[in-house]
Amino acid sequence: MRKSALILLIAFMSWLIVAGAAFARQSAPLDTGKVVASLVSSHDSIAPGGTFHIALRTQLDEHWHTYWKNPGDSGEPVHIEWSLPEGISPGPIIWPLPKPVPTGPIINYGFEGAPLFTTAFTVSETAKLGDVITLTADFYYLVCYDVCIPESGQLNLPISIGPSSIDDDWNAQINEALSASPKTGAVKGGVENKDGALTLSFTNLPEGDFSKAYFFPFDQGVLGHSEPQRITLADQGLKLETKADFLWEKDVPKSLGGVLTYEKEGVYSGTEVTMLVGEVLSIGAPAVAAKPLAKVSGASLFTAIIGALVGGLILNLMPCVFPVISIKALSIAKSAHGERAAIKREAWFYTSGVIAMFLLLTLILLSLKAGGSEIGWGFQLQSPKVVAGLALLLFVIGLNLLGAFEFGSGLQNTGASLTQKSGAAGSFFTGALAVVVATPCTAPMMAGAVGYALAAPALITLAVFMALAIGFALPFLLIAYVPSLLCKLPKPGLWMARFKEILAFPMFAAAIWLVWVLSLQAGEHGVLVILCAMLAASLAIWLFKLSGGLSRTLGVLAVIAALALPLTLSANTNASADAAAKLDAMVWSQARVDELLAQGRPVFVDFTAAWCVTCKINEKTVLYKAKTQKLFEDTNTAFLVADWTNKDDVIAAELAKYGRAGVPLYLVYSPNFQEFVRPAVLPQILTYNVIIEALAGS
Amino acid sequence: MSYARKLFAASAVLSLCIAAPAFAKIETGSTVSDMTVTDSNGAVHNLSDFAGKKLILEWTNADCPYVKKHYTTDNMQKTQRLATADGDTVWLSIISSAPGKQGFVDGAKANQLTEIRAAAPTAVILDSEGTAGRAFAAKTTPHMFILDESQTLVYQGAIDDNRSANPADVAGAKNYVLATLEDLEAGRTVVDAETSPYGCSVKYGL
Repeated sequence: MRKSALILLIAFMSWLIVAGAAFARQSAPLDTGKVVASLVSSHDSIAPGGTFHIALRTQLDEHWHTYWKNPGDSGEPVHIEWSLPEGISPGPIIWPLPKPVPTGPIINYGFEGAPLFTTAFTVSETAKLGDVITLTADFYYLVCYDVCIPESGQLNLPISIGPSSIDDDWNAQINEALSASPKTGAVKGGVENKDGALTLSFTNLPEGDFSKAYFFPFDQGVLGHSEPQRITLADQGLKLETKADFLWEKDVPKSLGGVLTYEKEGVYSGTEVTMLVGEVLSIGAPAVAAKPLAKVSGASLFTAIIGALVGGLILNLMPCVFPVISIKALSIAKSAHGERAAIKREAWFYTSGVIAMFLLLTLILLSLKAGGSEIGWGFQLQSPKVVAGLALLLFVIGLNLLGAFEFGSGLQNTGASLTQKSGAAGSFFTGALAVVVATPCTAPMMAGAVGYALAAPALITLAVFMALAIGFALPFLLIAYVPSLLCKLPKPGLWMARFKEILAFPMFAAAIWLVWVLSLQAGEHGVLVILCAMLAASLAIWLFKLSGGLSRTLGVLAVIAALALPLTLSANTNASADAAAKLDAMVWSQARVDELLAQGRPVFVDFTAAWCVTCKINEKTVLYKAKTQKLFEDTNTAFLVADWTNKDDVIAAELAKYGRAGVPLYLVYSPNFQEFVRPAVLPQILTYNVIIEALAGS
Repeated sequence: MSYARKLFAASAVLSLCIAAPAFAKIETGSTVSDMTVTDSNGAVHNLSDFAGKKLILEWTNADCPYVKKHYTTDNMQKTQRLATADGDTVWLSIISSAPGKQGFVDGAKANQLTEIRAAAPTAVILDSEGTAGRAFAAKTTPHMFILDESQTLVYQGAIDDNRSANPADVAGAKNYVLATLEDLEAGRTVVDAETSPYGCSVKYGL
């Protein structure tokens, strides 16, 4: 047993020796301390006039790093000096792609792992076949972890002149390193310095994800290496804003070079860019989420459509939608024991009502977007007029459900009466009404799909919203077409009248909530106006019940008053700021975030709106709980609120940066430079643990 | 104190306030004062105490190869002696290494280092919390800062123009500190008012 193991070992070792001598074009490795260095060649032998590559391969100890040609705030670049025989000339070092290496507040540009520093060599045409030439590299690098150690050495590699013969192993590795190293591409760049504020603009970007783009200048003094680079993505390029360094106080060259890094199919990549000094390139309109835009592939479109379908289905269960739908379900239940064809017809009219309303909203949304507005889903509720109108509508539906009035001929066109009517128009309007009351309740899982849809071309937006509509209408279609479901609906009876009355209360509850939203949007004046409108509406209902021409006339006047009052409302922006102040939170702005980060504090940003139910649930169950507030206090985390209750282009643009078309959005910024001030995006359903983890990560 | 001087002083304090919490450099040409530091003998200085004199700040870490390069060749000591020879120039060597990090020393060890290396700073400042280092955004050891008599920052950057750790490279390099002092002496604008510092990173605590 032992003997055979020994024989095996000897056999293996002798194979290693033979293999090493016969194949590997690699110098003996040299351990310089923290690094094991060797020279590797793409060719075993090279023909006269041929070109080949030799790389200095450096295997760094874990955590240790060496430096790029611009080492950043400290450090020193890797240095190689070649001693070569006559007739062979070297090119410059082909640098690997650098990474930012943070040490406390200092940012360096360098490498970890086993970077290859490759040089191309050309052999002269007159080189003699059969000769063996020796290339000698004197190299030096500073290698740092918590401390820095300068290390150096000398390595030799002989290459024979003869028929060109590639070394398979090393050639592959060198080619891999060459293809990963940044090259000049089609990207155009400009850089402008305005009183120390530096704007770098890039266009003609290759395909990829630039949401974490970073620019490494070739030269020192161009920009503050430890300053964050703030990204703005646009449809024709991107902009990086950072601080200028000392180079701008002297004669500035006409152009400046560097490497712009991004992600290409999840792989860290970079391209060399030359920036024209003094130019700001036009990067087009701020992209509503350039990230999803870059990924309009079949797969993500499919996901978005399925997400929208499921989201639409779930919308049916939302507290403000459920009563409206229940009434419709009841009316179907009534006819369930009637004619099947009629049920199918009603279901289809209901579906067309849903689709028509979604279509209308989508078209308004698209036209506003085309007009350059920063807009997202839920935009309907950013207008106090719409919120007041909805509150009024829910109040009247509630009164109707309670049996306060039966519709007379004069009120035939009011939605609530139609929802109870059987027949085409009734079903159609129920569908439309259901969509209107559903809009505040954007289900969380829909957010991604809607965000995607808004960033995508118009046709895709339309497709996703139609999927949402179909998902929303699906329960009724199922009832109509699956007979077994139909049989499960309860038989009509006296209980239906009671059930109808009970449903009035969720309606009133929803109305109260909308009045509260209105109080944040339009202040106490808004509350007064909506309550007066409700008074006018109930007065109108009473007047219509009386007979006589005068009361009829007064009734019409009261209806006009009820409808006109909400239209007088306009947004009071101070109201939302006051709301934030009440919650002992600071109002969000990018400048505030930067300022707090500069003070070394982590920052939590809550993008919210009064009309966003998910936001309110998160705030009530997690964010404003004493435990969470104490966590923020203990970690010295600043809590900022970006309130989107009213229309706000700056907040909409910020949401778009994270591929969102609406709230909620939760961001955690770390004061350290680990992430280059790219915040962590938390899930839309918050838990205490999620926040703990996010803060621990900062 | 004239109104202009007052305004100047106020702006100096202001510039420090802005610079202190962030890791942002102080712009060359702005005034710096009102910063309290403690030296290796426990004496407390305020930078404004040195108004009327030229002030040179040298960030250092005795174990950093780049610092060693300038001390084993007597380059830094020679610069210290030349700079302070006129009696109107104060040289502070500042150690911002945090406890447990490379280069951290107590007062006794700091004085011993000065003696062994025959260094000639006016005082050695112990800044283990990194307050002064962060205020000036000192990045490397060495990293040099020069203030003129009116406490205006006239130079920040490297000790010389040969960015290596190799002691053999000291000879023939352009010494930016001596060049700046010559410019000041001659009443000229400082030619290289800002250069890239080079060396090890300052070993700040987190």
